[in-house]
Amino acid sequence: MSATASTMTSNTPLRDRMHANDEAFKTTGSLFGLTALTRKEDDPGTYEAVWHILSNLCNTAWATGCKVSSSPIAAEGGDALWGLHTATGEAVCISRGISAHAGLLSDMIKHFIELGYEDYPGFKQGDIFENNDPHYGGIHSPDFDMCMPIFYQDKLVAWASCVSHVSDSGSVTPGSIGFLNPDCYSDGIPISMERVGEHDAFYPWYEMRIRSRTRTPDFVMGDARGRLAGCITVRERLHEVLDKYSLDFVLDAMNEYVEDSRRYAVKRVKTQTVPGRIRKSQFKDLAMKGKRVLLAKQDIDCMFNLPMDLTINADASVDLSLAGASGTVPFGENISPTALKSGLMMGYSHVVGFDMFNSGPTTAWNVEMPPGGSWANPYPVDYQAASGVAWAPAVTWLSNLYEVFGRLFQMRGFVEEMAAGSGSIMTAEFAGINQTGMYLTGLTLEQASQGSPARGYSDGQNSAWCIYTPEGDFGNAEVGELYYPILFLGRNVAPDSGGFGKFRGGLGHTAVWMVYNTPGLEYQCGDAGMRSKTVGNHGMYGAYPTVPDRPGYGHKTNLKELIEEQKPLIHERGGPDNPAVTSKITAELAEDSAVAPFVTPEALVDYDVIVHPISGAQAMGDPIERDPESVVNDLNEGWTTQRVAREIHGVVTTQPNGHVAADHEATAKRRQQIREDRKQRAVPFKEWWLEERKKVEAQENMDNAVRVMWESSMRLSPEYGEGVRKFWNLPEDFTFTPDAG
Amino acid sequence: MASFDKADIEKLIDGVLPWPATQDMLKSSKDEDRFDKYVEIMQARVDFEDPILLPLTPMLFIVNDNGSRVVKCRCGQCFGDYRVNWKLSALIYVRDDEEKMEQVYVGREMPDPGWIQLREYICAGCGAQLEVEAVPRGCPPDFEFLPDLDTFYRDWLGRPLPDTCEFKDATLDQINEWAK
Ligand SMILES: [Zn+2]
Repeated sequence: MSATASTMTSNTPLRDRMHANDEAFKTTGSLFGLTALTRKEDDPGTYEAVWHILSNLCNTAWATGCKVSSSPIAAEGGDALWGLHTATGEAVCISRGISAHAGLLSDMIKHFIELGYEDYPGFKQGDIFENNDPHYGGIHSPDFDMCMPIFYQDKLVAWASCVSHVSDSGSVTPGSIGFLNPDCYSDGIPISMERVGEHDAFYPWYEMRIRSRTRTPDFVMGDARGRLAGCITVRERLHEVLDKYSLDFVLDAMNEYVEDSRRYAVKRVKTQTVPGRIRKSQFKDLAMKGKRVLLAKQDIDCMFNLPMDLTINADASVDLSLAGASGTVPFGENISPTALKSGLMMGYSHVVGFDMFNSGPTTAWNVEMPPGGSWANPYPVDYQAASGVAWAPAVTWLSNLYEVFGRLFQMRGFVEEMAAGSGSIMTAEFAGINQTGMYLTGLTLEQASQGSPARGYSDGQNSAWCIYTPEGDFGNAEVGELYYPILFLGRNVAPDSGGFGKFRGGLGHTAVWMVYNTPGLEYQCGDAGMRSKTVGNHGMYGAYPTVPDRPGYGHKTNLKELIEEQKPLIHERGGPDNPAVTSKITAELAEDSAVAPFVTPEALVDYDVIVHPISGAQAMGDPIERDPESVVNDLNEGWTTQRVAREIHGVVTTQPNGHVAADHEATAKRRQQIREDRKQRAVPFKEWWLEERKKVEAQENMDNAVRVMWESSMRLSPEYGEGVRKFWNLPEDFTFTPDAG
Repeated sequence: MASFDKADIEKLIDGVLPWPATQDMLKSSKDEDRFDKYVEIMQARVDFEDPILLPLTPMLFIVNDNGSRVVKCRCGQCFGDYRVNWKLSALIYVRDDEEKMEQVYVGREMPDPGWIQLREYICAGCGAQLEVEAVPRGCPPDFEFLPDLDTFYRDWLGRPLPDTCEFKDATLDQINEWAK
C-alpha cells in the first residue's frame, strides 16, 4: 500500500512524507490532506495563542541573531531572517526582517530531503546545513541560507532556518551586490548544499574557507555565528512550547497554520478580486557600454523584458507566466526559477496572503516554467550565467504584482487595499580602508527605506518602505559613519520622486556623503533593481511613473577649503536643472547625472562627495485630479516644485503672506485647458497605429539594447513573438535585428 | 462580518475618511456587500444610465448598454466591446523624443526616448488621462484586464447575468480589420 498523509508517522522517511503530502494535496486540494482544521475548531484559543508564541520565538531569534552578528548589515539594518518549518520543510512562521527569503529557505530544506541527505550524511540534533549556490536554488552568493533540524523526544519534528546578507561574498569585485560578475565563477564563495557543522558548532574548515575567500571574514563569520545563535534560539524556545502544549498539538497546529493560510489566500482572491486575464509589461535597463567593466563582452547596454501574464481561474487558483522574458545577460542579473518562485512568495504575501505569513498562499499558484535561456531560467542554455545580484530583475518584475492586485481590489471596491507599483532599488556599497585602518566593504542600508506605493485613498509614505523587507529601515547615519570612512552631509526627502498622480508615491530621499579619513574609497553604485535610462511601466490610471535613478559625485573638490573658511557646504541634491554638485562646490570631476550602475573609475579621496538618491514609489490616477491642497502642502514642504504643480497638476498658486496657497478658480480653469490641450494634441489610436507600425518595422529610433531584447524575447517565447508580430501586422518572418558584433 | 456605511466608503474613495476609520476597514474582515455598494456609488457618479457590470478602473466601466457589454468612461464616452483592449478606441499622445518628454521630465529626470516611449491614453469625451504606458517601441499596449464576467457573476457572486458572452480576447480581430 502506498503511503498517504494520514498513514504517515514521524518514523516514516521524510522524503516519503513529503511525497505523500504532495499526493494528498493533489487529491484533496488541502495541504497535508487537511480537509478539516481540527485543532483550530476544537481549541481556537490555544491555536491562536500558539501561533503568536511561534511568531514571537522567530522574532526573538532575529533580535538575538542580529546582535550576535557584528556586521552593520544585520546588527544595524536587521537584514536577516529566521524561520520555523515543518519536518517536511513548509515555512510555518518567520521573524521580522527580509521576508523575501521565506520561500527560499523552505525550498532549501525540501531540497536537502529530496536529495536523500536523511540517509547520508543523515540528520541529527546540532547539525548545521547551508547553501548559497544559485545552481542549487540559492538566490545569490551573499545570501547565506542555513537550516538546522530540530529533534524532540528523538524525532525530527521541525526545522529552524535563517538567511543573512553578508558584507562580502568573495565575488570578483568587493561587496555583495555583484552586478558586474560576468559568470558564475566570479560570483564568489560557494556553499553548495553542505553540512557545515555539527553539535552546534561550525567545522574549522568552514571558517578557514571564509577567511581565505572573503574580504571581510570577521563580519562574514560574525553573520554565521548570528545565524547559528538564532537557529538555536528557535530550537530551544520550540522545546519549551512542546513541553507546555504537547508535541501532538503543536505539530498538528503547525500543519494547520500553513493550510489555514492557503485557505485565507484563496478565499481572499475569490472575495476580493475578479476572475480573468491580467497583463502587465515591465522593463528595466542595464547600461554598461563605455563604463569600467571586467570583460570585453560586458561593454554593452542591456534591456530586460519582465512581463507578467496572470490568469485567475474560476476556482480562484492563479496561473502565472513569464512568456516573453528576454535572454540572459553577461552580468550578475540572472535568477534561477526556484529563487524567482520563492521571491514570489514574498510579493504574494504582501498583497494577498498575509494573515499568517508562511508557505500556504503560494501553493495555489501554478507558475509556468520561464523560457529556457531567459534571465529567469538561464541554466538550460547558459549554465555559466552569473547571479551576483539576482534580485535585480526579480524585484522589478515583482513590482507588477502590487499594481496588478491594486487594480483587482479596486474592481471589487476594496479601495483601502489598493497599491501602485514599487520604486526602484539602487544600492551604495563602499570598499577601502576606513578611519581605523581596517579594510571594509559592504552595503549601506539607504535603499532599504524608499517611499511606499500610492494607495487608493492617499499618497504613499516617505522613506518608510522597501519591497524586499518590511523593516523599511535605513539604519542610523552615525552607525554608518562608524563603519565606513564617510560623513553624512545630508539626508533629505527628495522632491518629486514619487511619480505624478492623483495620489503620489511616498517620496524617496537623497544621502549626501563626504569621503573622509581614508587613503582611497571605491563607491559602487549598484543595481538591485534600479532604472537609469527608463522609468517603470507604472502609469497606473493615468499617473506618470517615478523618475529614473541618477546619482552624482564630485572628485577632488574644494570642500576642505570651504570647511576651513566656514562657508556653506553641500547638503542636498538641488533641482534637476540646478544640481548642487556643480553649483555649490567645485570639483575636478563633477557628475550630477551618472547613468547607474557603475563603479567609480578611480578611488574616491578625502573631501570627495557622493549624492546618492533613493527612489520614491509609484503614483496612481490622473495628475490633474490631485487635490490642489495636497499640491500646495507639497510646495510648502519643499516636496514638489512650481513647474510640476502648474504644468503637471494644473494647480495655480498665489503667495499672499510668504506661504503658498491655491487659487482654486484659476486652477479649475487651467485644468479645463489641460483637458482641451490633451484632446487637441492626441490622435485616434488607429491613426497612431498606422504610422507606428511602420516605425516598428523600420526599427526607427530603437536603441540596440531594445532590439537585442526584442529579438531574444520573441525567439525564446515563439507564441509571445507571434503576438507582437500580429499586433503590428508585421511579416511572419519579421525579427528585430541587433547591431552586428 | 463587517459592514460599512455607504457614506464612509464614499469618503474613503475621496481620500477624506479619517485614518482610524480607514484602519478599521483595513483590519476588519471584509464586508460581503462592498461590491454592490461600490457599484451603487459609482453609478450615481457617472454621466450615463447604463447599469455598471464592473468598474474596470476608477474612470472606466464595463456596462450593459442595451444588451451589449461595452466599456464606457465616466463621462459617457464609449470604447466598444469589453473584449477588445479599450485603448484601441482611445486618443493617444506619445512622447518619443526629448522635446515631448521634457514637458514631463526635465534634466537628469528624463528617461531616454531611444529606450522607452511614454504613451498617454486620453478620453475623447472628457480629456481625462486614463492610463500612461512607459514601454519600448514595439511593445503592444497592455490589455490590463480581460474579465471572465460570466464566471464572476455566476460562480463568484451567485447571480448569473441574463445573457452570456464568450471569454476571449478580441483585440486582434480589430487589428486585422485595420490591416486590410
Ligand atoms: Zn471621459
